[in-house]
Amino acid sequence: MNRCSTFAICWLATLALAPAQDLLVRAKTVVVATDTVLTDGSLLVRQGKIAWVGDDIPADARGRATVVDYGDATIVPGFVLPPTTLGRDRDLAEAALPFTPDLRAAEAFDPWQEELLALPRAGITSLMLAPSPRNVAAGIGALVKPGKDRGSIAVQELPVVLSLAQEARTPERAPTSLMGAVDLLRTAFAAAKAGTGGGPDVAVLRQALEGSRRIVVHADTFIELAAALDLAQEFGFEPLLVGARDAEKVLPRIVAQQAAIALDTLRTDMRLAQLRLPARLAEAGVPFCFGGRAEAVRVSAVLAVRFGLDRKLALQALTRTPAVLLDQADVVGSLRQGTAADFAVWTGDPIDLSSALVATWIDGVRVHGDAPKPAPTPTTVPATASNPAAAGER
Amino acid sequence: MRITRSQSVFAAVTLFAGSAALAAQDPPPAPATTPPAATPEPAAPDARRDGERERRPRRQPIVLEAGTVHPVSGPAIADGVVVVRGERIVAIGKRGDVEIPANATVHSFPHGHLYPGFVDASTDAFTDQSLRTDGSSDGGALFADDLRLQHDRGDELVQAGVTTAYVTVRSPALVRGQGAIVRPRQHGFELWRGKEHAALQLRMTEGPVPSHPLQRQQQLQAADALFEGLDEFRKARTDHEEALKKYEKDFADYLAFHQKKKDDKKPDGAPAPAGAQPRPATGERQGPPREGRPRGNRGGGGGGGGGGEPPKDPPRAGDGPDAAAGDGASDGPSGSDVERALATLLDALAQDPPQQDPPAQDPPKPAGTPASQPPQNPADEKDDKKDEAPKRPTWPKPPPPDPQREALLQVVDGELPLRVEAHRADELRAAVRLQREREIPVLVLEQAHGAASVADQLAERGIAVVLTDVLPVPFEPPYDAFEPATLPAKLHAAGVSFAIASGRDAYSPLLPLLAAAAVGGGLPREHALRAITLTPAEILGVANETGSLQPGKLADVVVTDRPLFQSDSRILMVLAKGRTEYEAK
Repeated sequence: MNRCSTFAICWLATLALAPAQDLLVRAKTVVVATDTVLTDGSLLVRQGKIAWVGDDIPADARGRATVVDYGDATIVPGFVLPPTTLGRDRDLAEAALPFTPDLRAAEAFDPWQEELLALPRAGITSLMLAPSPRNVAAGIGALVKPGKDRGSIAVQELPVVLSLAQEARTPERAPTSLMGAVDLLRTAFAAAKAGTGGGPDVAVLRQALEGSRRIVVHADTFIELAAALDLAQEFGFEPLLVGARDAEKVLPRIVAQQAAIALDTLRTDMRLAQLRLPARLAEAGVPFCFGGRAEAVRVSAVLAVRFGLDRKLALQALTRTPAVLLDQADVVGSLRQGTAADFAVWTGDPIDLSSALVATWIDGVRVHGDAPKPAPTPTTVPATASNPAAAGER
Repeated sequence: MRITRSQSVFAAVTLFAGSAALAAQDPPPAPATTPPAATPEPAAPDARRDGERERRPRRQPIVLEAGTVHPVSGPAIADGVVVVRGERIVAIGKRGDVEIPANATVHSFPHGHLYPGFVDASTDAFTDQSLRTDGSSDGGALFADDLRLQHDRGDELVQAGVTTAYVTVRSPALVRGQGAIVRPRQHGFELWRGKEHAALQLRMTEGPVPSHPLQRQQQLQAADALFEGLDEFRKARTDHEEALKKYEKDFADYLAFHQKKKDDKKPDGAPAPAGAQPRPATGERQGPPREGRPRGNRGGGGGGGGGGEPPKDPPRAGDGPDAAAGDGASDGPSGSDVERALATLLDALAQDPPQQDPPAQDPPKPAGTPASQPPQNPADEKDDKKDEAPKRPTWPKPPPPDPQREALLQVVDGELPLRVEAHRADELRAAVRLQREREIPVLVLEQAHGAASVADQLAERGIAVVLTDVLPVPFEPPYDAFEPATLPAKLHAAGVSFAIASGRDAYSPLLPLLAAAAVGGGLPREHALRAITLTPAEILGVANETGSLQPGKLADVVVTDRPLFQSDSRILMVLAKGRTEYEAK
């Protein structure tokens, strides 16, 4: 009896832990990465990761896998959001103390947050949950993903987040001014560089300066950006600037210092120069990604394209670039072998507003949308004898 | 029109202040607005020369060849051609099927796409902040009077392919005013002749925000109450018109009678002075007392004249019809001529020493006597004449002017569409009810986010909808029932006629993107294109002139380098009324 029940328990446990069935996902267009687009391509998803891509898929795996055929759709990597608090500003900033670079955003992560679970509806599959810019040195972010019922933390330790933005300066505690904030950071960086002393907070900065952590700096206006770039130059790091509203004024320095930018939401009522900024950054070779409000990130990309950005670069700025900037290029941002199976299925290129989202998959699980229909998706008008031209895009 | 001294002073001061203000600003690169009454050509010297230069090439036909031509009124034409002569399209078809005029200027876009000029069914371009926030306007406010260039990106409509736009504002007023249809131009805009007052704007909602039920109810009741008393107002107006006609006729008879009498008298007394001098001959004055002898300062007073303005009070006894008959009546019985003559007479008489007939002969009449009898001479010589003499008619007082009611009457008569902003389903149903109960022929709903649930009613009653918040951002739907992205598809499925519009000048240049978002929500592409071209033209009542590429229509054409709904499609050329308003370098 004992052995039987043990065996039963073991067998059940094996079942529970057994790898899920492989999935062979195919669609008319599969964007593996910006420069790798497959036509009638397939992906083999195993245990939540991309095991093989396209022609590399071995025949036996292909044979054994469950086919998920999305017909005429376009599969792109899920969008990756740069540092954001997802609206939970209060819990993601220790506002009483300005300098807390060792605090972890992961510890305030709410897996059931509504805004998080709504992200797949916009094609977003992962984001950096970051401490709020209300602190001069707010802490360490985490890579989190939404899920069907709850979110999860993918990577615990991500770049450290600093802030020189307006919100970091309040009259209620030091520093109350930009001067004070810059001085605080300079002192801390100097202490970090100097030796091995200081507490865990300085240690974080030390790791960042040694290159094992990226440094994210919130800065909007010209003076904030200039101050951030000055610090970066003095201590030898390449910052990821978040916000960067006046970036065009410091563009030469950004290029020279190889900084990167996470743009705020693009709106139609912005100045023309701001709407054309993504195109200019692309021309200058500055890596940038779209941030701001999560649900508006696709429209930001569309507006950038409307005002001159190349569409492939726009898609890259939604997927691969933020992954690179967060040092997670092996994990998210593309559908290469070994990355997580985070992808979104659209009826066409997501850069065109005329494309609709069909489904979103995270870690090999469909978290939004329906199972693929057997018939082809209806937006392409079929060519008929009387309407040959309509077969193309209108 | 006579301009009083104070009015001319005021005008001078305003002009001076205005020119001082203009001098203080940077001069605009090109002349700013074309005021409604001005000619379409801009006023700057360069532009005038341009306009004259342009006239010659415009008579030369223009031919546009493109990889794909989308007429909207029919299927797309591959390798198509559009021929434009003057302001209009004369031919459209496949290349080879259409005759190309010999002297035409040919523009060729081998991979390009030709579309009709876009029609923005609702925008607030060319309005300034004061108009947009004016909560005190009413139905008589004409937006056409207040349009002007803003000198920012919001003016650049035609460069984005919008060749016709309906301008209105989202002010807090209940009845916002009457919108105008404009034709954006390269440097400015011009009003569409005959459509300067194109629709009446009514707001039946607080906005796309959660609101209190009581507040909503008050709003709906206020909207309904606007239509109260319209019948009485209409009746008062028609009664007044009839009374005016009767007055003219009666007055003509009255004058004719006295003229005749004067003519009869001519052989007896001194000949009546013809022409200038309205003063009756002395002989007549001394003669037997006549009806309506002029009295010094009686009656309407000298200044009452001019174009038919009536004397302030109902004409009292003592006005001089017989002298007025000298000039006025011979012109024919038109009320204003008569009045003018009367006024001239009274002017002249005002300088006369009043003939001192005993006041008893002229019994004082209380004000407002409806039909004042000419003073009867106690002498009975004229008894017989008294019987035949027609009574001096009273000028009928017009009802107090009410431009809002005038506009509402036009709405009820079907001359002016009513455009109602209503968001929630209950507000929309109230609008439908309003249409039914007040028998409003043309109703258009704006910003009808909750229309999905009432779509069948709208289709049944032929109510059109103008959708403005089609992009999922930045509009944040306050209710889950509002799904801006899928609404166009749902309305299309129900058969409701709808246009996709920008609502704001910031979105006007992005009209194709808004239509693309509707496609993303499930709307078929051809219908999304129609929703920014032919359907808004129909809703605005200009579908016979623009909205599609058809021979006979105005040559409003947009050329893009790739299909319109792709985010990176660029506009290569825009023609409006056959004139090149934009050409990409």
